Amino acid sequence: MVKNKSTRDSSCLSLPLTPRNRSTPDFACLSLPILPRNRSGQMKIQQMIFMIIAVVLLFILVGLFFLSITLNELKKSSSELGEKSSMLLVSKLANSPEFSCGNAFGTSKINCIDFDKLMALKKISEEYSDFWGVAKIEIRKVYPENDLVCTDSNYPDCGIVKILDKDVNILPYSSNFVSLCRKEAIETEIYNKCELARLMIASQDKT
Amino acid sequence: MLNKKGAIEMSFGWIFAIIAGIVIIFIAIYVSSKFIKVGQESVSAKTGKEISILLDPLETSFESAQTTSMTIPSETRINNQCEETGTFGRQVISLDQKSFNKWVETEVKVGFNNKYIFSKEEIEGKKFYIFSKPFNFPFKIADLFYLTSEGDSYCFKNAPEEINEELFKLNQSNIFIENCPVSSAKVCFGNNNCEIEVNYAQGYVEKGEERMYFSGTGEDSTALMYAAIFSDKNVYECQVKRLMMRLEELSLLYKDKEIIIEEKGCETDLREDLSTLSEIILGGSETLVGLKTIVDGIDEKNNLRRCPLW
Repeated sequence: MVKNKSTRDSSCLSLPLTPRNRSTPDFACLSLPILPRNRSGQMKIQQMIFMIIAVVLLFILVGLFFLSITLNELKKSSSELGEKSSMLLVSKLANSPEFSCGNAFGTSKINCIDFDKLMALKKISEEYSDFWGVAKIEIRKVYPENDLVCTDSNYPDCGIVKILDKDVNILPYSSNFVSLCRKEAIETEIYNKCELARLMIASQDKT
Repeated sequence: MLNKKGAIEMSFGWIFAIIAGIVIIFIAIYVSSKFIKVGQESVSAKTGKEISILLDPLETSFESAQTTSMTIPSETRINNQCEETGTFGRQVISLDQKSFNKWVETEVKVGFNNKYIFSKEEIEGKKFYIFSKPFNFPFKIADLFYLTSEGDSYCFKNAPEEINEELFKLNQSNIFIENCPVSSAKVCFGNNNCEIEVNYAQGYVEKGEERMYFSGTGEDSTALMYAAIFSDKNVYECQVKRLMMRLEELSLLYKDKEIIIEEKGCETDLREDLSTLSEIILGGSETLVGLKTIVDGIDEKNNLRRCPLW
């Protein structure tokens, strides 16, 4: 590590090759002990800095590569979980208290939605906007088919009830067949009327 | 390397390389530890979401009780938190996993508004059991989920016949009605000196000095009793408040339904009762006992109607 002071700097070794005027002193060689050593040190530091920058850049690139893979996998699994969630929810939502017929139409029925309760739920649907964790909940009459969206004025002569209709990107709909029952009256006689419908649910696409 | 005085002499290049090397190694360690943490948090968030998905099929329809188990690959601690904010409150769970024999806490919390999980505030293990029961008061309010770890066993002593029968049918391997392991928590009906004492007639569960009241209507009036047995007081009281929040909203829903079916010639005698229910201010679970009389009256009225509301 300790340099021999007697050895000449390489910049001065080439001196004889370039003819110089003897009267003019060689400033480079006059400063022999100081300047050339600095230059080589500077070179080494520069090399080191470039090396470090290169290594850091390499690390950043590798990190970004792994990060993008991880993020992609996370987004994929988030979508998969969203789809799985709406698929499982759709099979059970009809039996939740806000939708189910309960014993209102005689005995307890499975996958039965109370149409009258649904219209009441539609009025307070804002309260339920985050309750089920899905973006869209829709009930469509399958038979008899009707494309009219239900409102207070056209109920029950309508075919589509939108409980949740968030303006977001959604994943594909999951659906389940249900019976849609309501109370009907002919003069003073009240009876139960059930029709075939499809309960449709879609989760938000967060990707 | 050594000068005359014996001290180590190093060139600037070496010093610079060593410092730069140390900095790079530290950055690499920091970044990889962050990566591991993010990985653990995403695993716990995913598992939390999967737990919530797993609960969906457990929602009851005809069944009075359903059970399932879930196994997580590594030792896991489930933190059950309940929040009373918003219209329905919120069920929050977070998962900590064991890494190098040390619990790694994660900041990711998975929340859902439509689930009610009754358990201890912290449950540890690899295998967990979940069973569910519907809670009616007077109409169905929600399905309650009871979460226990395989390591926490319960021994039911002197339980009424219907409860023994139900637990036998559940066939959950950490719940015993006979041949109880010594380490199991004793749940006694009418006996003293047990960890958990149930006063079935007066409707409360005692754990040490803590008392939790339960109530319910219909065939499955024991839903809150199991909830009190399997959960800590804080979780229980908070979840009961959340259930009452849903009761308020459902009362308004049935009130609106009554207006809709009134046009078809149905009765209108439940409007005031439902208004009373929608204005309930629940102090603690003890108010459930007082409410039971009102709720039973409403249920009876509904059952006698030509057009029952539920």
